[in-house]
Amino acid sequence: MKAEENPYVPKSATVVAVKNESLETKTLRIRLYNWKAEFQPGQFVQLLLPGVGEAPFCIASSPSDQKHMDLTIIRRGLVTIASHYMRPGDVVGIRGPFGRPFPVSRIVGKDLLIVGTGIGIAALRSLILFLVEHREDYGELNLLYGARFPEDLVYRDEMKYWAEKMNLKVTLSKASPEWGGLRGRVTDHLDGVVKGKGQVAILCGSPLVMRSISGELLERGLKADQIFVSLERHMKCGIGKCARCLIPGGWHVCKDGPVFSLDEISLEAIGD
Amino acid sequence: MIRVKVGQLLRLPSVLSEMGYRVIVPTESNGVTKFADFATDSGIDLHYVRAINAPRDFLLPDGEKLFSYRSTATVTSYGLKIRFPTVEGPCPVTINAEYTAPSGRIAFFAIHPCHANSIRYLDSVMLSDPADPYYRARRDGMLTVVMECEEGDDHCFCVPAESWELEEGYCDILVRRSGDGFLLQPRSEAGKKAASRLEAQEELGSIKERPPKMRTSFRIHASEEDIDRGEAKGIDSCTLCAACTVTCPTCYCSDIEDRFHLVDPSNVERVRKRMSCQRRCYSMIAGGNIFLKTKEDRYRWRLKHKFPFSSKAFGISGCVGCGNCIAFCPAGIDMRRTVGRGTNK
Repeated sequence: MKAEENPYVPKSATVVAVKNESLETKTLRIRLYNWKAEFQPGQFVQLLLPGVGEAPFCIASSPSDQKHMDLTIIRRGLVTIASHYMRPGDVVGIRGPFGRPFPVSRIVGKDLLIVGTGIGIAALRSLILFLVEHREDYGELNLLYGARFPEDLVYRDEMKYWAEKMNLKVTLSKASPEWGGLRGRVTDHLDGVVKGKGQVAILCGSPLVMRSISGELLERGLKADQIFVSLERHMKCGIGKCARCLIPGGWHVCKDGPVFSLDEISLEAIGD
Repeated sequence: MIRVKVGQLLRLPSVLSEMGYRVIVPTESNGVTKFADFATDSGIDLHYVRAINAPRDFLLPDGEKLFSYRSTATVTSYGLKIRFPTVEGPCPVTINAEYTAPSGRIAFFAIHPCHANSIRYLDSVMLSDPADPYYRARRDGMLTVVMECEEGDDHCFCVPAESWELEEGYCDILVRRSGDGFLLQPRSEAGKKAASRLEAQEELGSIKERPPKMRTSFRIHASEEDIDRGEAKGIDSCTLCAACTVTCPTCYCSDIEDRFHLVDPSNVERVRKRMSCQRRCYSMIAGGNIFLKTKEDRYRWRLKHKFPFSSKAFGISGCVGCGNCIAFCPAGIDMRRTVGRGTNK
């Protein structure tokens, strides 16, 4: 058995740039050596920090550049905290890409509503950049981004470029007095962006928020097969052998997901 | 079909050993039956009904080393201070995984039909695309000597679980107790070769597996709704000890972690450990959110993984009806109350 055939063996890559997005969040730009990752928006990779461990992250960069990938990482656990110590030049391992991507070809020509909350926006950035590059293929684009505090907002410098191509709304649930934008949860700002039947919704964020938005969208006339959610589980193997990412319905998030349409899974499967 | 005496049957492990197999036999230790590597002084237990471990522990060993690598990181003590040495130049150090694929063939002696079917379930999980290379290397060339059960104990339910029948490829020699001897029915070339080395009497006819006598009879209703609605009596007394998943012959959930050597932290091993859905960390994601919060959630989750999830993902039921989870549960929780319907359960 050669190393290339073993799905557990990571491939080498290096960090080429580190960007501070917010107090708790950094984006690592990773360069792949001697190999290309043919990924699509919504897929994830397993990032190995040598000597620390491995954790799954959604790719947050445009699929048009397959020599690099961006991973936006919030400090939460062992691997993510360690990843904040990384500097340009450091060696990491990458396994993947794994999973089923967003159905970008199936939704050509449709009006889209993209809702991201918290660090969930990182899993959507690849899709957003893809849509920006292929803007003419899609109908009306609405992006609703919710966070708690102003200092939690990520991709702040890119937002103005995104706003040129789509209708961007940013809302903060715990905004400071000087915040001039929208206030409240994302569910408070669905009026005006939800067009009802014919629109495709793509959600990523905390499970409870995704559940409440999904319920709201279903009530407003969107069909279950037009609502896509990107789920988070702690996948260990990425190939459906460890059963850590099973969700109700018998789906493996690593193989069958992380993107599911709501006619495939129940609202309970999103979690709470 | 051949007839052999007990002494000849007990010679079979050493015959298999001579043929180059790593032989796993049921042995008695501390009052329980346990599968272990065969040694010439192994006290082989041919009369066991229940074993505390299963072929899974040899095909998917706990703490299996996947590979090792030299880490470029140095870990300093005093909390989590990790320094990654920066490498200059265009193509820096790579992660060179060093590993050896498991080699050698494995033979299971005197396993029960439920064990043989548990291997069939593990095959459908581990060999589905993409196949697990470590499992495949262990499993290739496997030989099984399946010993029929005559009667199950209070916890057995292989007849309701429909796992007493043997699929082709999961039984090389079928053994049945008959009078003071044993009938052996080789079912494959490898089985014939092994059986031909025993001193035996040829007999006419052949034997086919038959269902053992059951003390309980019921039907299994285990769709997701059935399990959600099913009774979960006594679940309050669950201690979350995970004995059900440790002794289950088909539980395969695992965790993958990097272990570094304390003296030389740059020497890192990646190991696959067994994980249990009864543990809190099983469903934990970044930030500490867990999806299976209560004992009842975890109990129902295990049953769902065994029945509806496995049927959907792999087209095969994950419960072989061995009853280990009932027999070894210190709280006396009986999953038959949740999924069993009908008479005398």
